[in-house]
Amino acid sequence: MDHLIEAQGLERSFGDIKAVAGVDLVVAPGEIYGFLGPNGAGKSTTVRILTTLLRPTGGRATVAGFDVQSQANMVRRSIGVALQDAAIDPLMTGNELIRLQATLHGLRRKETSRRGGELLERVGLTEAADRRVGTYSGGMRRRLDLALALIHEPAVLFLDEPTTGLDPTSRMSLWDELRRLSSEGTTIFLTTQYLEEADELAHRVAIIDGGVIVKEGSPNDLKLAVGSPTLRVDVAEHQLEIAGRVLNGFGETRPARQGRLAIGLDKGAGELAKVVRGLDDQGVEVLHMELDAPSLDDVFAQATGRRLEGAAA
Amino acid sequence: MTAIGASPAADRGRPSQLSSFLIMARRAVVGFFRQPAGWIVGSFFPLLITAVSASAFSRATQLRGFPDTSSFLQFLMAGTVLQGVLFGSITASTDLALDIENGFMDRLLASPVSRTSILISRLAGAATYGAGITVFYVAIFALFGAKVEGGIGGVAVMVVLMVVMAISVGGYGAAIGLRTGSAEAVGSSFPLVFILLFVSSAFFPVATMSGVYKAVAQANPLTQVIDASRHQVITGFDLGEAATGLAVALGVAAISIGFALTQLRRRLGAS
Repeated sequence: MDHLIEAQGLERSFGDIKAVAGVDLVVAPGEIYGFLGPNGAGKSTTVRILTTLLRPTGGRATVAGFDVQSQANMVRRSIGVALQDAAIDPLMTGNELIRLQATLHGLRRKETSRRGGELLERVGLTEAADRRVGTYSGGMRRRLDLALALIHEPAVLFLDEPTTGLDPTSRMSLWDELRRLSSEGTTIFLTTQYLEEADELAHRVAIIDGGVIVKEGSPNDLKLAVGSPTLRVDVAEHQLEIAGRVLNGFGETRPARQGRLAIGLDKGAGELAKVVRGLDDQGVEVLHMELDAPSLDDVFAQATGRRLEGAAA
Repeated sequence: MTAIGASPAADRGRPSQLSSFLIMARRAVVGFFRQPAGWIVGSFFPLLITAVSASAFSRATQLRGFPDTSSFLQFLMAGTVLQGVLFGSITASTDLALDIENGFMDRLLASPVSRTSILISRLAGAATYGAGITVFYVAIFALFGAKVEGGIGGVAVMVVLMVVMAISVGGYGAAIGLRTGSAEAVGSSFPLVFILLFVSSAFFPVATMSGVYKAVAQANPLTQVIDASRHQVITGFDLGEAATGLAVALGVAAISIGFALTQLRRRLGAS
């Protein structure tokens, strides 16, 4: 099997509304696959189909080699799931939930104790393990949610917006854990509305909008495909002309406000040092310089004509 | 890559459905008792009603058609116990709706566990409460001089009947929870249960009633269960009465759980 997740023409309608309108995707073993899109784009619906919580109304999908409809129970045995909002019973303790989850997945008592202890330590919850989850912070809940999803060593881990609502420190901590899991070979399907998260973590990103994937590829490839980075330079008024001549040797002129020059660096950000040297050689005094590389938001904007940043939060 | 072969999760044997059921039932019981605000009031409210009724209507036992009993308090015991069970069971059944509301249900549904098991195990909290509250009430009544003439056997019959009734009412609440996905909706069904109790033999024997009220009370399955329990309390242990009450209670439970399972299937089908 080449792919741990495979979807072909996946569809899901709710009445007249098509939440997922023909999603095709494949995820390779060990890959972190970022599923990026605004609220209502179809991210969570796709995850719910792949985790057998929702039946597709069209198309087909397999996870870990099993059909999500006809072999749903085998899919459930093979996956770990942490859905939005860390759905954890606040009346139970961390240890009790670990035991519950382990039993549901067929772990024996000894194995539960060993694996549970390891995971709780790994997510930094050993000391809080006998406290009721209702007393945990949001970050602690997310980490426990992750530990619960991993208790049975699943082949595929589904994380639906795992860092939504977390403070920056907790978010970074979770990112570190996901990188570590990926380095250990766990395949991760990660939905997010945060561009930075997809950019930082995902080996490949799919951008979903209106229930269909509008772009897919590695974050770098996607950004490069949008265009070259824009270099903006502020110089004194009397040096605008000479500075313009220098900059034109590195790429096409781009629109800029009065008193500022802007070019697209044809050969990428690596040309920056040469630009600086060229300006210096001509005696141009640079007042301000900034390099604006394309972001995943630019990728989204190019594909949909709308911006994701700001709209997502 | 042979993904599934590489996954310890799938290599592991098929999870035991019994172990899964038991640990989910344990969660239901523990979770129920960890919310004392949900059951403490419900436990004492019927006792308060009984205290008021017993002092206000103590001479009611002299009415024509009233069974031969040592006191009105003794007569009220069976109805009070059922009242406590009904209150607690509605509270327990809101927990299933809360699981849906807070997403915990999805965690269970994404696990390789039987769907029916998820529902039935959730009623374990109601069943345990039903058994506990019956014994507790019998002890409280005994402190005030009202004893169960049927002895241990009579109390055992009451416990069994009340456990089945707790599951019945829990199933009814679970069905509403599954239908609506709202704990509030389950809670708001509480007055209906209360009305059912009032049009039964909980507070007065059917023989003292008349007209439509009497007809409704006679048809009310709660009356059959209360009368079967009451027989153990004021007359003595009677297997025939117990069997009649149990048959009615099991019938109500079958309908209620059937209704809940239908709603579960509907919810899963829609999802």
